[in-house]
Amino acid sequence: MAEIQVMKNILGENDRVAAENQALFAEKNVYVINLMGSPGAGKTSVLEKTMEKLKDKLKMAVIEGDLFTSKDADRIEKHGVPVIQINTAGGCHLDAPMVQKVAQKLDLDDLDLLVVENVGNLVCPAEFAVGEDDKGVVLSITEGDDKPMKYPLIFKESAIALLNKADLLPYCNFDMAAAKEDITTLHPGMDVIEVSCTKDQGLDAWCDWLLGRVAAKQKKGK
Amino acid sequence: MCKECGCGETNGNTRLQFTVKGYTEESAKEVEKALLGLPGVLFVHIHAHDGETTVDYSPAKTKLMDILGVLQARNLEAAL
Repeated sequence: MAEIQVMKNILGENDRVAAENQALFAEKNVYVINLMGSPGAGKTSVLEKTMEKLKDKLKMAVIEGDLFTSKDADRIEKHGVPVIQINTAGGCHLDAPMVQKVAQKLDLDDLDLLVVENVGNLVCPAEFAVGEDDKGVVLSITEGDDKPMKYPLIFKESAIALLNKADLLPYCNFDMAAAKEDITTLHPGMDVIEVSCTKDQGLDAWCDWLLGRVAAKQKKGK
Repeated sequence: MCKECGCGETNGNTRLQFTVKGYTEESAKEVEKALLGLPGVLFVHIHAHDGETTVDYSPAKTKLMDILGVLQARNLEAAL
């Protein structure tokens, strides 16, 4: 039997800060989700729909991660939700110190839900905890049904997968059953929801999932 | 993982290669699925005909005994 050590763990400092962030969010009873996915998967669109549906039910804020520009933050701001932009200046993921720095600018006492929209990338963000309660992944069906097995870590780490742009299914060579099978093989019991932002499909189920997580966190904090 | 940012140095995974005698096409698929469902197991490849089995996993999340346990539960044994 050959055991080959191919990597070393240098995540210690990030994990330490992530634990600090998590303790802060727990103290403030704020549920935090780290939303990940490829560029163009529809993370911001899902978020916009989420805000439309939940902004009267929850006090929300968003931390937007992008390499450059504030294009996504500008979209979020139009919904009247507090948003803070992090520009990583080329960095391919958010890390815990970045989130810690900007979290101080939010009124955490007045929040139920904080969404961290990570940099568009199906690889690196999954490796870095930022202090979240859960990670979630948005995969658009236009990316192909082979992606779960090709990028397994993000599906392993996420508590929920949103299969976005489901309205395009008739026009794409995407095997929904196979994709779901691969996702739940990698992460047995994982929640998987088909969504479409343009057709308002599956978004109520996603919002109910979020409401459940927020309620569970707040109940735990009491 | 990503070599652009140095993430590739961070995931702490180990690649394990061993041979298992007695696979059928069916049991190889079953083992592959069971191994992929373990925490930290990112990749499994099994050649059913010669028993060559490759598992990429994080020892921090899954113990070697858990991997071997999947085989033992099906009366299969990893050989040196």
